[in-house]
Amino acid sequence: MRLPIGSIRSIAARLFLTAAAMSLVVLLIASILLTAYYRSEAEEVFERRLDVYLRAIVADVSESGQEGRTGPGQLGDPQFELPGSGWYWQITRLDDKSHEIKASRSLFAGMLPKLSDLGVPAEVGGFRRGYALGPDGRRLRIVERVIDVGDVGIYLVQVAGSGEEMEEQIGRFRFALIVAFGALAIALAIGAAFQVRFGLRPLRQLQRELASIRRGERERIMGNYPSEVAPLADELNLLISANRDILERARTQVGNLAHALKTPLSVIVNEADAAPGQLAQKVQEQAQIMRDQISFYLDRARAAARGGALGAATPVAPSIDALLRAFSKIYGDTGVIFSGGADPLLRFLGERQDLEEMIGNLLDNAGKWAKSRVTIDVSVDSGETASRPALRVIIDDDGPGLAPHLRATATQRGRRLDETKPGSGLGLSIVVDLAAAYGGSLQLNDSPSGGLRAELQLPGF
Amino acid sequence: MRLLVVEDDKDLNRQIVRALEQSGYAVDRAFDGEEGCHLGETEPYDAVVLDIGLPKKDGVTILEEWRAAGRDMPVLILTARDRWSDKVQGFDAGADDYVSKPFHMEEVLARIRALLRRATGHATNEIVCGAVRLDTKAGRVVVDGAPVKLTSHEYRLLAYLMHHSGRVVSRSEIIEHLYDQDFDRDSNTVEVFVGRLRKKLGVDLIQTVRGLGYMAAASAKDAGEKR
Repeated sequence: MRLPIGSIRSIAARLFLTAAAMSLVVLLIASILLTAYYRSEAEEVFERRLDVYLRAIVADVSESGQEGRTGPGQLGDPQFELPGSGWYWQITRLDDKSHEIKASRSLFAGMLPKLSDLGVPAEVGGFRRGYALGPDGRRLRIVERVIDVGDVGIYLVQVAGSGEEMEEQIGRFRFALIVAFGALAIALAIGAAFQVRFGLRPLRQLQRELASIRRGERERIMGNYPSEVAPLADELNLLISANRDILERARTQVGNLAHALKTPLSVIVNEADAAPGQLAQKVQEQAQIMRDQISFYLDRARAAARGGALGAATPVAPSIDALLRAFSKIYGDTGVIFSGGADPLLRFLGERQDLEEMIGNLLDNAGKWAKSRVTIDVSVDSGETASRPALRVIIDDDGPGLAPHLRATATQRGRRLDETKPGSGLGLSIVVDLAAAYGGSLQLNDSPSGGLRAELQLPGF
Repeated sequence: MRLLVVEDDKDLNRQIVRALEQSGYAVDRAFDGEEGCHLGETEPYDAVVLDIGLPKKDGVTILEEWRAAGRDMPVLILTARDRWSDKVQGFDAGADDYVSKPFHMEEVLARIRALLRRATGHATNEIVCGAVRLDTKAGRVVVDGAPVKLTSHEYRLLAYLMHHSGRVVSRSEIIEHLYDQDFDRDSNTVEVFVGRLRKKLGVDLIQTVRGLGYMAAASAKDAGEKR
């Protein structure tokens, strides 16, 4: 038979129920044993007391025979004087036809039954012991012995005691035992519940940590775990990092595939360029679609990779310096000067590549339109709009600027306001998407230097 | 003008080389990083088209090695990775410009023209020396408003001299910069081409500096004084 405990889904309940069942069984057995032991002890004391009385009476009868007295005087116990007390003695002369009987006052007018008549066998030494119904209707424990006092006569000496007193005593003991064991059982249950809670706490902590990993709040299990759970936590960490590696590899491979496709695509596009015609036109068309697809999926792979980038803090200044160096080369022969920078202490909460992508696209856009200057400035904005400190990247150019009603469309995907300027038209929309992914924003305004001002709000400090 | 193309894709390499040769450049080619790196270190190129993703040695490493060795020819990098962080890496390694794949060949040609122009200190695609106008974009030569037909070798020689106008260019430098590796070099051919150019242009643009080489006069006035 399968134990019902096997179907309990909670370890806590299992531990608690088994602990409770165990203590119940132990307490039950203990109480049965204790009661039995107590009863046997009580009975022995009772028996010994009867024996003492019997011996005292036997001695008294022997002495009274020699002294010419008849019957014992005092047994020292007032129980024998009180009528119906449950404690009796009785001396019956057997060798005489008169069957002279002497009895304790407590026996009053009654007589004790003879065990020898009831067929109770005699022990060594002529003792008979047994239970019998007394004259008062109570069940009595009787000890009797036949003594021969020579010429004084042969007597049957009987002492009887009611077991009621003893039973009451045992009852009281049992009650006390039940109360004590009940309290103990409750204490054990509370102890077991506490033990289970305490013992299983690392598991609950592990569960909370795993949940926060899944939410992306932390990267690995860091808590200090007891030796039983620690290997599990280690294994989970390995599993998590293996999983992350697999994801990373998959993303890298998507990236590699996409990048690898660009070379043959270049070849196709250039072959088609070299051979004008309907086929070449079709090839150009399809190549453009492939190009769009590649950049779409690259963006997706990058966006997915961004999920695990929480907690990364990138210094802003080196990225901006590197970009400014690059732009000075790219725009070297147009005469546009790129200047500005950032405080070396400023940090962007995100990936360097994303920061460079956003600022690079904004600088590129500014450089295409500027007459002579593009400036970049980064500050920390702890103003009333931002609940937490945010970076504010401001890029100004002195170009023609952009009419307010065109600014919204300029940031849409694939939208180019001026087809004559080179570029895929994705620049500003990439910035908008990336900034949004980080909970930031891009705003286009008038620049004090006459052109367009691009203002980027990003998480950072 | 002698160029190097380092690109591991055979078809793309062929396309770029063909387009550059059609534009009047002498072009060497390399198909992997090691070969390309070696050529760039040992041969005097006027510009290099360098792919970033190369077998054996990647483009960024090659570029860093060239710059560390003091090779300062303009380098145009071709990259499939078109994020700004990738481009910045290329620029920091010493690139002068970049083209993202996939590209149209005109883009590469335009960037190369711009790099060569910048390297020799010219602001536009048109270089003027006295009455001679050289349109590097169209590959045309006009003297006093009249177009002149030149062969590719004649054009290369004239373009090289005009890019470096005002400076004496030695015969060996001309040979190194006009012909690709496989060309059978013979210093006499330079004299032959100079003679033909003088005849075709009809003006005394190219001067012989005895013992040193040739020079294209920077302006008509210079040319006049020497006369």
